[in-house]
Amino acid sequence: MAEQTLDFKEQFEVPSKMKTWSYALIGIGLLAFIIGLFTKGTGTNEEKAIFMGTIMYNTIFWTMVCNAAMFFICATTLAMGGWQMTFRRVAEAISTLVPVFGIITLVVLFYIVFTGNHEIYHWLDAKQVAADEILKGKSGFLNVKFFVIWSILTVGLWSLLGWRMRKISSEADLEPMDFNTGNAYVWKNTVTAGLFIVWFALTVGSTLPWLWLMSIDAHWYSTMYSWYVFASTFVSGVALITLWVIYLKNKGYLEYTNQEHLHDLGKFIFAFSIFWTYLWFSQYMLIWYSNQPEETVYFKGRVQGPYKGIFFLNIIINFICPLLILMKRSAKRNYTLMTFMAVLILFGHWIDFYQMVMPGISKDHVSLGWFDFGILALFIGLMIHFVGKALASKPLIAKYNPFLKESIVHHT
Amino acid sequence: MHLKYESQLREPLVYGRKTYHDVTEEIIRPIEAKPGKLWYVGFYTAVALLLFGVYSVYRDVTYGIGQWNLNKTVGWGWDITNFVWWVGIGHAGTLISAILLLFRQGWRTGVNRAAEAMTIFAVMCAGQFPIFHMGRVWLAFFIMPYPNTRGPVWVNFNSPLLWDVFAISTYFTVSVLFWYSGLIPDMATVRDRAKTKLRKYLYGVAAFGWTGSTKHWQRIESLSLVLAGLATPLVLSVHTIVSMDFATSVIPGWHTTIFPPYFVAGAVFSGFAMTQSLLLVVRKVYHLEDYITIGHIEAMNKIIVLTGSIVGVAYLTELFMGWYSQSKYEGYTFWYSRANLFSPYGWSYWGMMTCNVMVPQIFWLRKARRNLFITFFISVLVNVGMWFERFVIIVTSIYRDYLPSSWSVYYSPTIWEIGFYLGTFGLFFTCFFLFSKYAPVIAVHEIKYVLKTSGESYKNTMGAIEREPVEEFAHEYAH
Amino acid sequence: MAKKKFVVGCFDNEEVLFPAVKKVRTAGYKIRDVYTPFPVHGLDHALGLRETSLHTAGFIYGITGTATALGGISWILTYDWPLNIGGKPHFALPAWIPITFELTVLFAAVGMVYTFCYLCQLAPFVKKHHFHPRATDDLFVMVIECTDKTNIDDLKGFLTNNGAVETDVQVAEEGWWWGRYDKDDEKTLEKEIVAA
Repeated sequence: MAEQTLDFKEQFEVPSKMKTWSYALIGIGLLAFIIGLFTKGTGTNEEKAIFMGTIMYNTIFWTMVCNAAMFFICATTLAMGGWQMTFRRVAEAISTLVPVFGIITLVVLFYIVFTGNHEIYHWLDAKQVAADEILKGKSGFLNVKFFVIWSILTVGLWSLLGWRMRKISSEADLEPMDFNTGNAYVWKNTVTAGLFIVWFALTVGSTLPWLWLMSIDAHWYSTMYSWYVFASTFVSGVALITLWVIYLKNKGYLEYTNQEHLHDLGKFIFAFSIFWTYLWFSQYMLIWYSNQPEETVYFKGRVQGPYKGIFFLNIIINFICPLLILMKRSAKRNYTLMTFMAVLILFGHWIDFYQMVMPGISKDHVSLGWFDFGILALFIGLMIHFVGKALASKPLIAKYNPFLKESIVHHT
Repeated sequence: MHLKYESQLREPLVYGRKTYHDVTEEIIRPIEAKPGKLWYVGFYTAVALLLFGVYSVYRDVTYGIGQWNLNKTVGWGWDITNFVWWVGIGHAGTLISAILLLFRQGWRTGVNRAAEAMTIFAVMCAGQFPIFHMGRVWLAFFIMPYPNTRGPVWVNFNSPLLWDVFAISTYFTVSVLFWYSGLIPDMATVRDRAKTKLRKYLYGVAAFGWTGSTKHWQRIESLSLVLAGLATPLVLSVHTIVSMDFATSVIPGWHTTIFPPYFVAGAVFSGFAMTQSLLLVVRKVYHLEDYITIGHIEAMNKIIVLTGSIVGVAYLTELFMGWYSQSKYEGYTFWYSRANLFSPYGWSYWGMMTCNVMVPQIFWLRKARRNLFITFFISVLVNVGMWFERFVIIVTSIYRDYLPSSWSVYYSPTIWEIGFYLGTFGLFFTCFFLFSKYAPVIAVHEIKYVLKTSGESYKNTMGAIEREPVEEFAHEYAH
Repeated sequence: MAKKKFVVGCFDNEEVLFPAVKKVRTAGYKIRDVYTPFPVHGLDHALGLRETSLHTAGFIYGITGTATALGGISWILTYDWPLNIGGKPHFALPAWIPITFELTVLFAAVGMVYTFCYLCQLAPFVKKHHFHPRATDDLFVMVIECTDKTNIDDLKGFLTNNGAVETDVQVAEEGWWWGRYDKDDEKTLEKEIVAA
């Protein structure tokens, strides 16, 4: 009976158009990379740093966004969520990029630290560190050895635990579960998700953004920083999931995912945009209010320097737009509007990453231009290629997941 | 009407074979019956504490706050510690009702009413401290901005202390509105089954003439959803603003950007612990084990371990930054005044670390989460730990200020400081005892709403749906 | 306020109620209201009620709060009595965000609750006619307004056939009045109860 009514399409096939697009974008990206290599890569030290910095913020951004998809899965699993089951495989597919982008990130970062690119990380310059009491004091944390080990460990465990979550998910394709096997299955999910979340808190929630990003402004510090980075990447991760869900829906897949699920994804984007703003405001306002030079140095260049426009654009896109547009219930249930908002949010937080990284590398010149978009195209192309492949590798729905039926009747 | 279905893997929210009438009967019975001996003992103890508190405050007002052991350096001590502690506790109610409503966590129905009431009482207690800390309490109205004959001189809108005034009064108002708008239909239920004239009269007034009309239900649902949407950022804002009392300053240990979200996490943490302690007693005393189930307790314990760990990450972040900033003052505060067990206040820091971060980790174990004794014990410890946290933040940052000649220690509160604190316990429990006697401690209509999806006897009939293939199930649902 | 005649049908199960509502409406009867002990999802749609726009009101109240706070504070601190506070500019927007937010929420919440009470005529000492005391306990009470043409016995039979466990006819005040629930007043007395 069940076999006969298999009339819904649960097996994704990568359309040729998508392949063309991903290859085209990768091509554009590689072209930009090569041209950049010969123009910026051979220029002054600052230009070289901008070249590396651009690749660096792109790769870190995309790695963390894809990892946020796994965070989404693990968080909903721990909260015993049922509503996300109809499209959970989409988030899983996005999370398969963590090892891919993670390795690119590691290559880029290791290239920077091993070549001692102190235009990016000032703490790499032994001479400068020796002359600088503060940097010398920090060298217990900011040193190549720790950087390398911790980065490998981070990406490695993200990938490993993510792989395990996806493997458990595949088990739900095989056979129906009764009460006991269902419970055992949920338990297995919970344990791995718990481990992932703990590791996530120790990396994304604390150490990693300090190491990878905050250390660019090597003197500066802010305890909020990592949570801010988390909020930024998480909301982007949900936006990316939403985009893929809508794409698949348009192609006639994901029969059981409907406006109700879209509505909840919209709520997530809305809520976490507000949450991001909250963290942004708390960090900014507290530094503004107490007005201590060692802290305000970070915002000085961003708010009053050449990065002013980008600084305010960041808030407009990531706060004002979602606040005004997504407040209405009907907006969250509208596929077109949600597509627009998801793209906008991804773009906005990409800009956010830009303004986190680049002003520390190039104080006086805003470099945002063709090269940034070229590298962005490369990552989007790779993302489309790999997510498409991952989606096609398994059914889009874990048919025997014990919470799937709840997700089908999900109602906001 | 939507298909009522919930996975069998979820534990029932209501145990037993119950009809709607049984739900009404069991939850409202304690209101109609005479309270037991235990209630009287508890109530009078609370009233006694309250009276002691009133006397302590009376002395404070008559003789001035010199009655307290505060000094020039340690100008904030027990008073502000207690204030922040109580406000923090006052966060769980709205969080349970609002955020869990938005996230559609079904288990909130069993505990939200009591938690909201607790919120309101805790905020009432919290408010006492800054008000009486002002010293000349009869001039307290100066904190409100209004055109006056003094210039007009306005309040300082740039001051976080004034933000507190707005935040806490707004929070109190909105919590009361949220709580009471949910209470109206249940008051009507009590009214309609009342036997005595007095009860008919009182609950008739309290129920506002509620009839249960469909249109009214539609509106009240919309109202509570929007109020929940408003209350969610409001909860965040309140403790955020409390944290800004400290964080906008330039005092090491206070000025740190992580304070707002970390304070909120801590507030939720202590609020859930207090809810947990109270509900464990309430379910026992009023025999509500079918409604406040082990599943509810486990879910709250999960939140306790989650928020406890978030707070733990924040503690470590601060400690790390105390070193990483390479600022002498930060380093001194974090690594000498706090983390060094043998510094004058080292004990409070390690008390905080033990109670808030280490002990709750036991809740990673399912067995511990479902054990009532462990739960009760830890929920009390967490509240002790959260008190330590505020004490650590306030006192260790200021007892040694920039001028070593004014360094001082503040070891012992006076009896009147302690009395004031005990008095707020009296206020809190007096209110809570009265509430639990005169209002339904569980939201009757919300339990009825989930009864047929999550009630034990109803869930057991869903086996057939559970075995149905997905395609068939979806097909059926679509029609 | 006027008194009207109503036919009342009580149901004890919402799964029976829904088809009954549908049938009664298609038969052309005018359902005045259904009183339920808890919010029954989808019942408002089944009765053909329009969506409430209470949240829109809330949005307007909220905007008012925002404007009040920002307008008030900026008037006070930049025009009425400018002060140098910690060397900050007079127009110190970041420091005003907290109060602005609080007042937004306060206005929205208070405004909405008042609007809600006004729309539903809820207040202390308000009294209304209750068709069945168990409507707040475990009965779903469907109230149908009688016109001149209504054949009461037919209607009652129709309701019973569709699952009503109890039916009767009541003449009642349809609005609200000031009163106390411990006292029976004239407005509630005229009841002609006919057993089902």
